[in-house]
Amino acid sequence: MIRVKVKYFGRLHELLGVREEEYEVDEITLADLLLNYIPSRHESSANAWKENIFVTIRGEVAIDKNGMPMLKNHVILVKGKSQDLTYKLKDGDEIAILPPVGGGTK
Amino acid sequence: MKIRISEKLDDLNTLLEEIKKGSNEIGSVIIFVGSVRGISNEGEKVLRLEYEAYEEVAVKTLRNIIADLKNKYGIIDAIVEHKVGSAGVGEDTVYALIASKHRKEGFKSLIELIERLKHEVPIWKKEITEKGSRWIENI
Repeated sequence: MIRVKVKYFGRLHELLGVREEEYEVDEITLADLLLNYIPSRHESSANAWKENIFVTIRGEVAIDKNGMPMLKNHVILVKGKSQDLTYKLKDGDEIAILPPVGGGTK
Repeated sequence: MKIRISEKLDDLNTLLEEIKKGSNEIGSVIIFVGSVRGISNEGEKVLRLEYEAYEEVAVKTLRNIIADLKNKYGIIDAIVEHKVGSAGVGEDTVYALIASKHRKEGFKSLIELIERLKHEVPIWKKEITEKGSRWIENI
């Protein structure tokens, strides 16, 4: 088992009611974490979570041609570096899930 | 170069003096001040804004942006301060100062800096109006 920390920002921490939390998991991918582990821990927000994070079609998460869930305008950083959903988590990883940043009008 | 993300911005005149002291080649300092508007884009009365940042990544991203501007336009120095936490109407939330030999590269750099600040730096803004609240996101 490995231990990772997950940080949520903007509307995501409001949705889940937590700014950061730890997960003890097997050596899973980021896709597993986002698609399964986080919604399982936050059951009451699971559907809203998936609709915020992923492209959904009639409530189901859309899958790309490689079989990966399709992210919706979010950036995932692991130890400050952008990673795609195939990334395999390592012990001590800090994962930050970033909604689109907000600027304002020109 | 100075980058600061904080609940309280430094005094703007102090920042101006600080950047000017850095080099006797500076002939221009262009300053941007971002503040909280009282009316939202939807025409609602704004009560306050709330900012939050992924601070370590925000600082690193700003440092890279300023390094890019130095390479691209040859500016001498830059200071960026951004507020986090709650900000009332009229309150300053961003100070950006660009010091250069001449004004032309300073203006170009400042426009690019602010555009990139709004789109690349992990700082989020929540607008609280009389009618409710919403996160402002560039989607």
